[in-house]
Amino acid sequence: MDPIEKKEIVGSRVTKLDAPEKVAGRVRYVNDMTLPRMLYAKVLRTDRVHANILSIDTSKAKALPGVHAVITAADTPKFGIGVLKDNPPLKGDKVRCIRDEIAAVAADTEEICDAALRLIEVEYEDLPTVFETVDALAEGAPVIHEDRPDNIAMLHEFKAGDLEAGEAQAVHIFEDEYDVHYVTHCNMGASCCLADVDTDGRVTLYSQTQYPFIMKMDIAPSLGIHPGDLRIIQPPVGGAFGAKLDVYPNEPICVLLAMETRRPVKLLYSREEEFIVSPTRQPVEFKIRSGMTAEGKLTFRDVDSRLNNGGYTSWGATTPYVSMRTGTSHYKVDNVSYRARAVYTNNPFAGSFRGYGNVQATWALETHMDQMAEIVDQDPVAFRLLNSNEQGDVTPQGAKLNNIDLKGCITTAAEESDFLKKWQANLGQWDSPERFKRGIGIASSLHNAGGAKIHKSDGCGTMLKMDDYGRVTVITGASEIGQGIDTVIAQIMSEELGIPMRDVTLVMNDTATGPWDVGVHASRTTYIAGKSAQRAARKAREQILAAASRQSNVSPDELDLRGGHVVQMKDGEPVMPLDRLLRQMHFAGEDAELVMVSDYYEPPSEPEDENRYGDMSASYSHAAHVAEVVVDTMTGEVKVEQIWSAQDVGKVVNPVGLEGQIEGGIAVGIGYALSEELQLKDGIVQNPFFRDYHVMTAPEMPPIHMTWLETNDEEGPLGAKGAAELPTIVIAPAIGNAVYNATGVRFNHPPLTPEKIARGIWERKQQMRAAAE
Amino acid sequence: MALPQFQAAPQFEEYVNATDLSAAVAALADGQGTPVAGGTDLWVQKELPGAVAGDRLVNIKNVPELKGIAAADGRIRIGALVTMTEILGDGRLKDAAPILAIAADRFASVQIRNAATIGGNVANASPAADMMPPLLCADAAVELAREEGGAISTREVTLSEFFTGPGRSVRESNELVAAVIVPIQPGRYAGFCKSGPRPALEIARVSMAITGEAAGGKLTNPRIAFGAVAPTPIRCTQTEALIDGKPLDDELIARALETMDGEISPIADHRASEWYRRHLARTYLEQELRHVRDG
Ligand SMILES: Cc1cc2nc3c(=O)[nH]c(=O)nc-3n(C[C@H](O)[C@H](O)[C@H](O)COP(=O)(O)OP(=O)(O)OC[C@H]3O[C@@H](n4cnc5c(N)ncnc54)[C@H](O)[C@@H]3O)c2cc1C
Repeated sequence: MDPIEKKEIVGSRVTKLDAPEKVAGRVRYVNDMTLPRMLYAKVLRTDRVHANILSIDTSKAKALPGVHAVITAADTPKFGIGVLKDNPPLKGDKVRCIRDEIAAVAADTEEICDAALRLIEVEYEDLPTVFETVDALAEGAPVIHEDRPDNIAMLHEFKAGDLEAGEAQAVHIFEDEYDVHYVTHCNMGASCCLADVDTDGRVTLYSQTQYPFIMKMDIAPSLGIHPGDLRIIQPPVGGAFGAKLDVYPNEPICVLLAMETRRPVKLLYSREEEFIVSPTRQPVEFKIRSGMTAEGKLTFRDVDSRLNNGGYTSWGATTPYVSMRTGTSHYKVDNVSYRARAVYTNNPFAGSFRGYGNVQATWALETHMDQMAEIVDQDPVAFRLLNSNEQGDVTPQGAKLNNIDLKGCITTAAEESDFLKKWQANLGQWDSPERFKRGIGIASSLHNAGGAKIHKSDGCGTMLKMDDYGRVTVITGASEIGQGIDTVIAQIMSEELGIPMRDVTLVMNDTATGPWDVGVHASRTTYIAGKSAQRAARKAREQILAAASRQSNVSPDELDLRGGHVVQMKDGEPVMPLDRLLRQMHFAGEDAELVMVSDYYEPPSEPEDENRYGDMSASYSHAAHVAEVVVDTMTGEVKVEQIWSAQDVGKVVNPVGLEGQIEGGIAVGIGYALSEELQLKDGIVQNPFFRDYHVMTAPEMPPIHMTWLETNDEEGPLGAKGAAELPTIVIAPAIGNAVYNATGVRFNHPPLTPEKIARGIWERKQQMRAAAE
Repeated sequence: MALPQFQAAPQFEEYVNATDLSAAVAALADGQGTPVAGGTDLWVQKELPGAVAGDRLVNIKNVPELKGIAAADGRIRIGALVTMTEILGDGRLKDAAPILAIAADRFASVQIRNAATIGGNVANASPAADMMPPLLCADAAVELAREEGGAISTREVTLSEFFTGPGRSVRESNELVAAVIVPIQPGRYAGFCKSGPRPALEIARVSMAITGEAAGGKLTNPRIAFGAVAPTPIRCTQTEALIDGKPLDDELIARALETMDGEISPIADHRASEWYRRHLARTYLEQELRHVRDG
């Protein structure tokens, strides 16, 4: 037999495992599931934003034929869900925002559910309302939750260095405000869950959740179930992106209805509910004040922000865990202060969303940095490089920036796009009579790339077994929700065990089989689940090579696994087929052994202490984006022509997956910058449909030129870092800065809609005209 | 407080699948029928009044008399069921009223263009319907059909008299839009502008169509029509009269913009402010008039 060469799987272009099924339309999402005897559920929601509930009368609904259960707060256990447990799944005494759940119905059909909802009578007593954070903080403001009379749901504060000394050193001090808006995930698969209770009271919940193991402990006790009796299965999900990172009322309601009716119950949102009910990205009002020396070196930065918390507290209120790190640690500043107040209002509430707090903070900071550069008459690249963090820096909050390359990202993006030449040329065009103007802008960002220890654990477990034919089954705690961790794990197995990817079977997305994992968030899954899978594979490999060594009398170090064979490391000469070896190991009488290993990986990160100090992630990373735009100065329409992305990814595991993450991330970021906005008026969503909520569509996506910087992370699996969120984070301010470069008008508050831009340019012209007269 | 409805689509009690025109008008005779053609408006209807006339859903997709594009008596009859894709692909229409194809090309996306019918666009009577300014510029008329004494009776209404308000028209609840009829007017200048941050799938904040005989820096016998700047699609007849056959110098263009500004009455809503709608209308008209002048 010919020698077998080592095949590099990691780093090669591999089709996502689920791609063929998805393209063929064969994937069965939770939304597609039905179970025998299944009932449908719907929720009655309030049409008030702040009111006391005087009475709820469900008697007519209960009497409707085909209705099996109608539940309200009065018939169900009292508990709150969400980060502060301030959100009862069914509201009994008071409603605080537009989507509040009053009652839920389980019936034979969705139509009967609708009819039953119309029969429920609710009496309210309206209360004074408040929608703006400043108003909610004012003396005498309506109180949203009685136990928080000041309306502050959460306060985050950090200080380092000496702000006054920083001010004293500063030659230039600059302050501005940046308000970022409401957007929502727009998952193609609307929120859906299906609960099934067995005769012994054990519950199976088919859920779209991103954190099944935490969800078990979060909701089981409140529902009166032992967490061990709640099994969560995650069938394929039509998108999550952070929207499924908390417990929201639909899941406990669905379980309660299943418990009440003793039948499977499915609860599916309509598209309008999806817009109105599912959480938003956290809107924030930032004020940034910072100073620098005559040469442009930052001397201090003071960030104060208010988060519109809405009626209840979900992950939105915790986004400062990440935005604070950008505020205090992106670029080198010794003297920093950061304050964030999450303020209750009668608006909808925010959850987590890809880029978690950093999309907002990076918009504010990178707009601010461009403005600062102009004050000291430097170009945006030189100014950023002057203040960049470097390899080995420890940030004021204690993040150890090892294996980073911020300067490399910035210079790569600038050089690839010929930034400086274009930027300079565009500046001269502001007052030219040309209607269409070109602009180019740059931005960079810092993000965690090795998980984030916001829970007591950030770990993931893997179990691995091999059968008599050389096939591997990997049982991982990681959740596959479309991001491609199944493909990454199969690649790692293939690489470590020298078998084809198709010989790897993954068992996942089920808390009954999978070992613990924290969930899909913080760009952590490849890093942490990938690392755990790699460590498990290495244990299996060791066991196999030890057995092979005993049979062949070749030292294990001189053996390798390639192409389904044990081979000589040096020349690839086959020693024996892997499957035969496995059978020999298995059927060896008293010495019989199975290849069956496990691994639990807890990354070496630490939670922040009470002073907000700690090396929260096992790795950090940067990206820089350049956007080139053309602005129609009359209509205000912006066309993004090209994007250059330079990102430190540690090591590329699957270029196809990485490209997908970057393109998808950028699509979300462009929408954030230019067109997406959940419009609220008096707490009510005005545009809960795709007709008036504009996500990017394929024809609008510009070409993206990607460069990957491989810094080879020491801890990450095969050197890889988390990569999924940075693309969404960086692009928006790059576009904002490009619009400024084109027009001379600075827009601090996204989205940069055509009307905003047209108005800004028109006003600038009026001012220039007035000044000239 | 305008509360968005959770209900996804209108509900019906009865369904009629009409396979010829007499069956279709019969099913509408008592005023309780709601026709459905492409369904691209009906299934997503949320706010326009009067869209759902009655509890009987009448599928008109299979009515042969409502299909096809045909020339007759110096005019072209576009059957109500003709889709945007068909308008785009029709050679005779391109010659007779080029403005229609230009506008159809900016209509929604390929998928929607394949389903959306011209009859639905007219009947829906949205002030923002994209094909209305072009049809107004093409001097279009609407053919309405209904049942009378067991037979089909038709009448013709000019499009400029068809609309009475947002979602409302002179069409009676027992009438179908059978066709849209345009005179053959070859060789006219045709310009169409439509706003939107996205090229695809946009509901116009403002749309404008302009036609006329362009020569020597003048536009003779002009038509100027706007969508989404008034309760109905409108023609700016005073502006047309002002510029008719006159040299389009800067001064005349400025006066045309002022006159047009007085003829439109845009509202402010969550899609755009009144200022922006007026600003867009001026931008489009100025752009097109300069284009005519400068060739
Ligand atoms: C994603 C999307 C994008 C869109 N983009 C655009 C756009 O760019 N520009 C634009 O103008 N519109 C747009 N629309 C709206 C819609 O596509 C058009 O108005 C289309 O022409 C409607 O035609 P239809 O056949 O689908 O009408 P239907 O939905 O079948 O009917 C619309 C209304 O007219 C009535 N009706 C239909 N046919 C007749 C008839 N022959 N006689 C009497 N009544 C009738 C129906 O009862 C209903 O009230 C869009 C819609 C969607 C969903």
